[in-house]
Amino acid sequence: MVAVDLAEIPVREANERIREAGARGEDVEVLNPDARHHIGVGLTDPITVRVRGSAGYFCGGLTDGPRFEIDNNVGWGVADNMYQGSVVVGGNAGAIAGVAIRGAEVVIKGNMGSRAGQVMKAGTLLCAGNANFMAGYMMYGGRIVILGESGERLGEDMTGGEIFLGGGLHSLGMDAMVTDISRDEIDSIRAFLDRYEISFKGTFQKVVNAGKRLRYSTTEPTVRSLPFFAFSDHSDYWNRKIQEDVYVKARIGRYRVRGYGGARALPHLSDLAFRKDLSHLGQEADPVSKVKMRTLIGGKNGAKPLDISMPLMIAPMSYGALSRSAKQAIAIASGLSDIAENTGEGGMSDAQRDAAKQLIFQCLSGRLGWNIHDMRRADGIEIYISQGAKPGFGGQLMAKKVTPELAAIRGIPAGIDLRSPSRHPDILGADDLVIKVEEFREATGYKLPISVKLGAGRIHDDIKIAVKDGFDFVELDGMQGSTGAGGAEVMEYVGIPTIAAIVAALDALDDIGCRDKLEIVLMGGIRDGVDAVKALCLGADAVAMGTAAIVAGGCIACMQCHVGQCVTGIATQDPEHEARYKPQVEARNIHRFLETVRWQMAALTHAMGYHDMTQLNREDLVALTPEAAEITGLAYEPGTREREAELLGKVG
Amino acid sequence: MCGIAGILFKHDADGLSTGKALIDMLDGCQHRGPDSTGFALYGNEQADRLRLRFFVGEGAAAAAAIDGIKAALAEHQARIVEDQEIGNNYRALVEFRGDLRKFSYAMEHAAPGATVISIGESLEIVKDIGTAHDVDDRYGVHRATGSHGLGHVRLATESDVKPEASHPFWATGFADVAIVHNGQITNYWKMRRRLQRRGFEFTTDNDSELIAVYLADKLSLGVPLKEALKMSIDDLDGTFSFLVSTKDEIGYAKDRLAAKPMIMYETDDLIAIASEEVSLNRLFPGQALDTREPPPGSYDTWSRST
Repeated sequence: MVAVDLAEIPVREANERIREAGARGEDVEVLNPDARHHIGVGLTDPITVRVRGSAGYFCGGLTDGPRFEIDNNVGWGVADNMYQGSVVVGGNAGAIAGVAIRGAEVVIKGNMGSRAGQVMKAGTLLCAGNANFMAGYMMYGGRIVILGESGERLGEDMTGGEIFLGGGLHSLGMDAMVTDISRDEIDSIRAFLDRYEISFKGTFQKVVNAGKRLRYSTTEPTVRSLPFFAFSDHSDYWNRKIQEDVYVKARIGRYRVRGYGGARALPHLSDLAFRKDLSHLGQEADPVSKVKMRTLIGGKNGAKPLDISMPLMIAPMSYGALSRSAKQAIAIASGLSDIAENTGEGGMSDAQRDAAKQLIFQCLSGRLGWNIHDMRRADGIEIYISQGAKPGFGGQLMAKKVTPELAAIRGIPAGIDLRSPSRHPDILGADDLVIKVEEFREATGYKLPISVKLGAGRIHDDIKIAVKDGFDFVELDGMQGSTGAGGAEVMEYVGIPTIAAIVAALDALDDIGCRDKLEIVLMGGIRDGVDAVKALCLGADAVAMGTAAIVAGGCIACMQCHVGQCVTGIATQDPEHEARYKPQVEARNIHRFLETVRWQMAALTHAMGYHDMTQLNREDLVALTPEAAEITGLAYEPGTREREAELLGKVG
Repeated sequence: MCGIAGILFKHDADGLSTGKALIDMLDGCQHRGPDSTGFALYGNEQADRLRLRFFVGEGAAAAAAIDGIKAALAEHQARIVEDQEIGNNYRALVEFRGDLRKFSYAMEHAAPGATVISIGESLEIVKDIGTAHDVDDRYGVHRATGSHGLGHVRLATESDVKPEASHPFWATGFADVAIVHNGQITNYWKMRRRLQRRGFEFTTDNDSELIAVYLADKLSLGVPLKEALKMSIDDLDGTFSFLVSTKDEIGYAKDRLAAKPMIMYETDDLIAIASEEVSLNRLFPGQALDTREPPPGSYDTWSRST
């Protein structure tokens, strides 16, 4: 038994000692915990950790295997995302006890706070006292046993799993219902109670999902698909696009969901031009060798930075929206070009991990596929707050794509229209976020850069929060960003254009004198090296490309990503469709495209007279339209339009 | 974007450690807000005496602002009993008999560069940028021995890091009412316009000031504090956990969605409330406390025995 005294050492050091003890197979006793946060986070060995007092937030979070025994109370998020293992709390638990657990046994001897078991997938959460507001909120599986009172809105929007209630039912949540309980279920609960030496004489009611809101009640009919290029024409007010939209809405009676990006013309990087005359571009045969392009991102606070061969990354896209093969091809291409890849929502696959040299692991609100083991083998951790294509909304994955295999990885029932939560269970403000970031740092030994993905909205405030909460960099996503499935109107009308986002972000950093404290990776409609260089001139530290990479790998822009029957095998989970996709071949195509981008970036930078991409700056740009000038504050020089067209002919 | 704390000792006694307790509690949750820290502290009241605190800045600007304040005090027949310049504050004890609300609004406009922090018979609000210990070093908060008080740490998001934007907020125009708040009031402008139409002035755009004025309005109409807190849960929209203090009481209210944390520990001698248990444990290191999390949509008050 190893004793760790929190009156003597900080939690960070204590967690290192706990993990060392775990590696040796020794149990640990934590003295004087005094409700400090993050005790035992990141432990993956099956030892017992006894906490002699109260623990704070996320006690036993992001773990797999250990047994925690806490003498007294715990704060928010006890056992956060715990796989195997158990946590026994002698006193009360704060809000979101057992959040996102994937098999753990969590026993609260006292009462528990609001939203207990939110987005849990498997395991048992038992509360011997009373539960509180919205217990079982958005749970996907596993069981919650409450011996006392239910609290208000029990099982609110639960998708799967069961709740067994021993005390009084205050009220049921949305789409929850009381159902019959079987002998076996009662026996199983009794055995569980015996195992944890809890006596209970009463009877149980069982609450499950009522199944009225798991799927849209009508399915969208298959219509002849409209190619994106026809879709985005501006020929007249009541064009074919509008007509088709009205037809479909008349049939389904709700908003439509589609894939790809917004189609409205918005001020963008193409409305900016280079100030200098670059007509000599092309005279240098090998510009790549003449320009320093290697870029480090995320190392400002002591983490090991991402080391990329040019200021370019792959934008986050999920396994789920895309097929395993498509994700694999992108990962291979990113490795060949020596840039960073990103998992997006829905977990990490071995093929992707093996192929990508550097991989960012993204944590979303539903914690789908999120786990400590993959965190450990990532090169960066990213908290998704929102995305440019649909700021404020969670991911959407229609039933056709929620196959049994995919559902198993995500820990959810197969065949539902998955609408991920729009908010994280434990991030309701900047004050909560700072504690979450700290949890991730504890779980990964402070080694990995931690970034935040922000869909452009209230940039000025959000960027300041990102600095204050200690993020290493931000992935800033403008409204020209695409998605695998989003509400059509949201994609067209919600958000801030990419050029406005970067300008607002830099203004905010200047406001608080933190221009050097936070790196910005800009994304949202970056199509080629020309766009990338303009973004870097505006002040981005790097850019990320999603749609361009997919198109390079065979996407035909049919906008049917959400349907799940992608003819190219990219945006599908159907094995027959996926079989059409040849990851090795498409990886070469994507890689060739990325190398073209590299050449474009180098050629332009070199032609501007620079030898390092960090020399690019705002003075290198002018605006071609009044709108772009107003947004960026750049000089309005429409006269450069012709020259710009000529230049694009050379580098395009 | 903050952490809050409050403490009330139920039995009056000499040598209470109220200031020190609040500093410890806030130091315990400083991770929730490193930008600024503030305290609402209560001292002994004296008949017809008011305690005033202003932000005046420093140097020549401060001297000019203080001159303006002194002139305004004289104009409103408030006699200075004692005064002091401390940190970026001007602090005065004055003899005053008259309409406090009119007097407060006049003090708001006493001089350019002078901003009222608090006016009360026993309340003084101390707040500035920096941590709990920074503010204590500047203003000697640890010396406060009153029966109760509130504290707040702030992470500035929508407004700038400046002393005026830090908490606690005084209920402008109402003696001795202060609040600290964690959360966001989403019907701020609607409620503010409603109160403005009835003649109340607001000195900031901060939603927390609204809560203070809202409650003080109810109290001035004779509504007991507990009842006012109950009404606030119906009238205010958003996510909030807040604490309020008056001359003799502290209370709390928590919104129905329970999105913002709050936890409390009560004994025969005291009630302590904070955003996180880690703050409560600072008062009782090494002890496992029998704490309680208030349910969504709840409220309560505690009084000191007099």
